[in-house]
Formats: sequence, structure tokens, C-alpha cells
Amino acid sequence: MADLPGKELARELIEKSQDESRATPIEEVIQAIGNGGTDGDSADRLIGRLWTLERMFYYIYGGWGQGLEMNDFPPSVKYLFSKQIVDESTHEMIYLDALLKRGFAPTQKDVFRHPYGAFVLDSALAYYVFSLRNLATYPHPIRIAALNLGPKIIELGWMEGLAEALGDAELKGVFESQFVENRSHINMGRRIVEEFVHKPVEADLCRWACAVAKRDYGRFLGELSAFVLGREAPAPPAPRRQVTD
Amino acid sequence: MPSLKIDHQRCTECRMCYIVCREIDINAVYVALEPLHRIEIDLQKCTYPGCTACLMYCPAEGSIVEVATGRSMVPPPPEAWQEV
Repeated sequence: MADLPGKELARELIEKSQDESRATPIEEVIQAIGNGGTDGDSADRLIGRLWTLERMFYYIYGGWGQGLEMNDFPPSVKYLFSKQIVDESTHEMIYLDALLKRGFAPTQKDVFRHPYGAFVLDSALAYYVFSLRNLATYPHPIRIAALNLGPKIIELGWMEGLAEALGDAELKGVFESQFVENRSHINMGRRIVEEFVHKPVEADLCRWACAVAKRDYGRFLGELSAFVLGREAPAPPAPRRQVTD
Repeated sequence: MPSLKIDHQRCTECRMCYIVCREIDINAVYVALEPLHRIEIDLQKCTYPGCTACLMYCPAEGSIVEVATGRSMVPPPPEAWQEV
């Protein structure tokens, strides 16, 4: 285990993300919950938007899956990826179950149409989704490093804080029941980076992709936090980059 | 009124029951909020024997049973087949 080529890189990415995990805009939501400043509508907004993001992972992973070829990685890597797809699907189901159980909407089709659950192109959520989908053309360990050792660690951090602050047992269960799978995704990411990132150029690509994913996830969290707290603030402008080819 | 439950010893968690129940807007099948995230049936929402859609798609023999009798409903017995 000690001589795994990407061990130091995995540790570096994990520690950096852990440091950032409790400094996201969601801390404002957690604080508002603690102060009793949220209501049922806030919860519907939160779960509605998280459901919208979760269901977009079918689209993201669909693109990533196309980038996997025969014999490019051992079966274990593909198993771990497929397990992650199933888990993401489970989380999508949990959010939808919660919305339906709360009486937010009578059917799945109604949730799709509702402003809290609809996918909007001009949003930080969409920007984050397309940012991840764009990683489809990169080698699998790099995009797994970007997501599993970046936003996934940040997500686990704020979600643990959120679950702790929530008083509603049902709502708490929605988040708490995801912890094991979220930790598993982080461990999967660690394993893949440790084992398959060999060259310095790959390590630099991992660092870059992870930073981009976290930047765009942070923008989504900013939009989510404002939406849950009823501020409706526009997301900060996305960084522009000149296209030269 | 007869009702259904999942036998977790036999269920493979393929979630076909969840998918069909949701597609027809009954929403009686749900994911339990525990780490294993097993599939359960909400007896308040399930309309069995009015609807038997989950039984028609379940691939795992004996994984959905009648609560009162413990009788396996997969594969569905002849009386479960009905015109919609």
C-alpha cells in the first residue's frame, strides 16, 4: 500500500477539500435552521434543488461512461463507478420520496414542472452540471479525482452539519442515510487516485480538475443557499475564458 | 384489505417495483431512510389488490408477499393478473 503512486496526491486533495468543507454558503442555511429561521417552504426549496442536481447525475455519468473503454482499467474501477451511479440514483429517489411525502406535489411529473424542481439552463446548478459533464473527455482517474476528492468531500461536510442542525427526524434521515454512501464515494476516489495516477502531468490535471469542480460546486451552493433563504440572489458571474481554437 | 410487503431475504433491490409504482403515480414504493436504503411499501398508499403492477415486473421469486398470509406473490398467481 505504501508505494501506491498517487498516495500523496490523494492525501493532498482530500485534506484541502476537508479544510473547505465547512466554509461553504450552506453554513448560512445551517445557522438559519439553528436559529429557527427556516420553514417548510425552505425545506421544499432545499430538497427540490438537491433533487434537480441529483437527477442530472444520470446525464453527467452517461457522458463519463462513454469515456470508458474495454481493458483500459481493471473491472474493479468500473464496478466502483457503477456502484456510484446506483448510489446517486438512490439519493435522487430519496429526495423525490421526501418531496412527495411532504405533500409538496402529488406526482413525480408535477415535481418536474414545479419551479423548485425544474432544471433551468441559466443557473449555477446547470453550470456545475455542464462543468462535470465536460470532464467526460478526460481520463477516468482525473474526473473521479475532480468529483470524489472535491465536491463530494465538501458535500459530506455540509451535509453532516445540516443533519445535525435539523430537528425534523424525517428530514434528518434524508441526509443522514446518505453518509455511508458519500463516504464510500470518497474512499473510491482515494483508491482510484492512489492506484492510477502515476505521472506528474496527470497529478497536475487532477489538481486543476478538482479546483474547477469545487469552484463550480461553490457557485451552485451559493445559489442554493440564497434560494433556500429566499434571497433569490443571482449567482456570481462565471469566469470567462478566451477560446483560441 | 389485503396488503403487500417486501421480503428482504429474497429481494435483489433491482427497484423495478419502485419505478413502475412511481410511473403510474401511486408512489407507494419508497426507499427506506437507513444506510442500506432498502425498498419498502407504504401500506397507506398501496392500492393492492386494485393495482398489481409491481408484481408483474418483479423478477425475484418470493420477494413480494401478502402481509396477512405470507403467501408469495411473485411470480403473480393467476388471480393477480387483471385487465387495466
